[in-house]
Amino acid sequence: MHPLLASRAKLGAYLLGWAPITLLLAGIARSQGWNSLEAGALALPLCLSAAFLFLSTWFLCRALPLGGTVEGLGAHGMAWGMAAVLMGGLWAGLAWLLARMLAWIPGLEALPQRVGNALPVLTGLGVLLYLASVALSYLMLAQERTLEAERKGAEAQMLAQESELKALRAQLNPHFLFNSLNSLSALTAVDPARAREMCVLLSDFLRRSLGLGERRLVALREELDLAKAYLAIEQIRFGNRLHLTWTVDPAAEPALLPTLLLQPLVENAIKHGIAALPEGGILAVTAVVLEGHVILRVDNPLDADAPAPQGLGIGLRQVRQRLLGRFGSRARFEAAVQDGTHRVTLVFPLETEP
Amino acid sequence: MKALIIDDEDLARAVVREHLAAHPDVEVVAECANGLEALKAAAQQQPDLIFLDIQMPKLDGFEVLELLEAEGKRPAVVFVTAYDQHALRAFEAHAVDYLLKPFSKERFDAALAKARALHAAQPAVPAPSASDLAASARQGRPLERIVVKDGPKVTVVHLDRLDWVQAQDDYVLLRTEGKNLLKQQTLASLESQLDPSRFIRIHRSYLLNLDRLVRVEQDSKEHREAILRDGARLPVSRAGYQRLRELWEGA
Repeated sequence: MHPLLASRAKLGAYLLGWAPITLLLAGIARSQGWNSLEAGALALPLCLSAAFLFLSTWFLCRALPLGGTVEGLGAHGMAWGMAAVLMGGLWAGLAWLLARMLAWIPGLEALPQRVGNALPVLTGLGVLLYLASVALSYLMLAQERTLEAERKGAEAQMLAQESELKALRAQLNPHFLFNSLNSLSALTAVDPARAREMCVLLSDFLRRSLGLGERRLVALREELDLAKAYLAIEQIRFGNRLHLTWTVDPAAEPALLPTLLLQPLVENAIKHGIAALPEGGILAVTAVVLEGHVILRVDNPLDADAPAPQGLGIGLRQVRQRLLGRFGSRARFEAAVQDGTHRVTLVFPLETEP
Repeated sequence: MKALIIDDEDLARAVVREHLAAHPDVEVVAECANGLEALKAAAQQQPDLIFLDIQMPKLDGFEVLELLEAEGKRPAVVFVTAYDQHALRAFEAHAVDYLLKPFSKERFDAALAKARALHAAQPAVPAPSASDLAASARQGRPLERIVVKDGPKVTVVHLDRLDWVQAQDDYVLLRTEGKNLLKQQTLASLESQLDPSRFIRIHRSYLLNLDRLVRVEQDSKEHREAILRDGARLPVSRAGYQRLRELWEGA
């Protein structure tokens, strides 16, 4: 279906576009000594028929795409030139037929004679109009393609975000999982009650992390719950090497943020902080509200002998990207080492579910 | 048979201990929560067998093994780890056994039997060196730090703190933070483990951390010297200069 025929408004605008061409044609005829009746009687039906006849160029243009280069124009130039001459001639012929049909109306007896004289001019004009409609068709097709590309781009971006989230969900650290299962294996013999507790904790953590990935945005409360479930398991693994400190302002809990932002931070704190230190240390999670913003912070000690981390690891880079992707310049991401403590700070506007 | 259990997690050591209880001829002489403790315990107890975790604070399992080797100790080793199993598959070729956490009693007993057999027989093929094992577990990734036993003290040299390395017969002299450390290893073997875009063999006897290089000066036609950030000068051979130029032109 031709896009101009698909909507009444578009068709109206298109036909309106033909009005000045009709006036022009009538004007030319008048300047050649035709009277107003003759000029109008011919120009109006002729232009109306051309308007519909030349719609066909759109289908041809679609079949002969330009391929986005100027060379494309040259490749099809020959075909278009021939089609234009053919259609111009056809159009002039139509004018002549029309003139013959109108000749019986009183006052239009001279029309066939006049059209006969003007046939070369009419043919030329037909060629020009045809080429103009080819150009218009290509323009419309190009615009259509642009819109399509934009829509596809937006779709691809959405898919990419979703797959990224899926990947995050699937990114259940295998090292964590196997070490936890090993702890569980040890506990079954020495402390069955705690083994059962660990089973429950592990299930709780898995269920939460699987459920969270389904959503784009999540309340900070749920992110904190996930981190608590995770750290409760690590507490069993690391025993008294891991000391946890939670400082959470209840006002921060309903704040919405991209899913799974806190989890990579606490996993990092365990991997590069607690697990790398024979004596372990304090892992502190802080969430406070200040001037309409949530400040979310994870602190962990670092091995003083190891070199300071060079730049951000892939996990932290993703956190930053997703935070800034959601909040833009209204959010801030900081990672710094000071006095043997690694600190990651996220600051973002306090927005809650309406 | 005297055994050592080395793992930074209490519960992980408990599983090994529990499985060993079924083998009364194996005596657990010590349990260690990190590599440094392990070295101390190994020096005191002379174990025949060690159960060794890979990811541990300060020193990893490979580094512990390497330092034990440096002291001439070759206990039978069973790696016990949640480490990437693909990385460890290469160990099978080296006749070294490993247990992936968590493991079954049967799997544990099989690993123990294998270690016992290796310990009893004088192995026809010499056991692979710890650094070879570590290299195969790294799967082609370059080394990130070097461990050196300096008398009773163990030093971990992170590569961004290593200025240059000099060959001294069967030893290498490591220059780091104004100190010299000696380690028993050949320059060629160390060079093969390092990132070739970071450490360049500028001379038959010298490997240089490219980050330390300021410029190369030409004294005479055939004599060039590398000037380092701290003002030190190292000789650059013709082949070494060629390698530097290739690197510069490539970049």
